[in-house]
Amino acid sequence: MASHKQKKVVKGKSGLIMLGVVAVMYLVTFYVNADAGKEALKAGFEIVKMIAPILLFVFFLMSLLNTFLAPKSISKHLGEESGVKGWGIALLGGILSHGPAYIWYPMLADLRKHGARDGLIMAFFYTRSIKLPWLPLMISYFGFAFTLILTLLVILGAWVQGLIADKLMSLWDDS
Amino acid sequence: MQILSERLKIAVKNTFKTLLMVMPMLLAVIGLMGLFEVLVTPDMIHSLFRGDPVEDTLIGTGIGAISVGQPFLSYAIGGELLGEGVSLYAVTAFILSFVTLGLVQLPLEWALFGTRFTLLRNFLSFVFAIVISLLTVYILGFFNGIA
Repeated sequence: MASHKQKKVVKGKSGLIMLGVVAVMYLVTFYVNADAGKEALKAGFEIVKMIAPILLFVFFLMSLLNTFLAPKSISKHLGEESGVKGWGIALLGGILSHGPAYIWYPMLADLRKHGARDGLIMAFFYTRSIKLPWLPLMISYFGFAFTLILTLLVILGAWVQGLIADKLMSLWDDS
Repeated sequence: MQILSERLKIAVKNTFKTLLMVMPMLLAVIGLMGLFEVLVTPDMIHSLFRGDPVEDTLIGTGIGAISVGQPFLSYAIGGELLGEGVSLYAVTAFILSFVTLGLVQLPLEWALFGTRFTLLRNFLSFVFAIVISLLTVYILGFFNGIA
C-alpha cells in the first residue's frame, strides 16, 4: 500500500507572496478609506497581542515534543496503529487547545510529518470548535439543551470526519 | 544528560526554523483577519439572510466561513439573528462554520498541509456544519416535543 504519509509541505516563497498581496490590499484600503485602513491595522495588532503568548506556548510545546518524542513514538500514539488512544488524544486535544486554530498549524504539520494520521488531525481541528471558556455564554444565548446537543454532535462529527478523511486519503494513495 | 541537552538544542533550532518559515504567511493571515474584521461588519452579515431556512442555512455556513473574530462574537450575532426571525438551522450553521472554517486561514493551511488535505478538511467542515446544524435542531425539537 502506498503510504499516504507523503506530506507535501509547500515551502518556497508562497508566504512572502501572500504577505505582499496583503500589503497591497492594505494600501488599497488606505487609499479608498484611510480610517478603515487604520482600523484594520489596529485590529491586526490586537490579534498579534492576543496570539503572541499562545504562539510562544505552542513553540515551546513543539520543542518539547521534538526533544522527547521520537517519530516512532508519534507514529505509535497518533499513527496508523494508534486506535482508540489516538482518537482520544485528538478529540480531547482539540477541545482543550486554546486560541485560534492557525496557531496550532505548525505543530500539527510537524506531527503529521512525523507520522500522525490525517484523520486524527482533522478530528483535532473540528473539536477545536468546542470552546470550553465560552460554553457558559453559549448556554446563556441558546440554552443548556442546545449547547449540550451541539457539543456532543461536534465530537461525534469530528470522529466521523476523521474516519472519512482516513478512508479517502488511503483510497487516493492506493489509486 | 549530554545527549538530552543536544537533543533539546536541535529541537529548539528546528522549531525556530519552522517559526521563521511560517512567519510571513502567519503575518499575512493576521493582516487579512484585521481587514476582514473591519470590512465584514455584523450589519453586513444581518443583511444577507433571506428568511428561507434552507437558503439561510447555506448562507449561514458561507458567512461563518468568511467571518473572523472571537467565538463569542458569533454567539452575539447568532442571538440577534434568532431575534430577527432567522431560523435556528441557519444560526447553528453560522456559529459552527465561524470556528471550523476560515477563508482567511486557507493560505497558511495550504502552505503547511498541502492542497489535498486543505480541500478535504474544508469540504468536510462545510458539509458537517450543515449536517450538524440540521441534527441539532431536529434533536432539540424532539426533546422539546416530549418535554
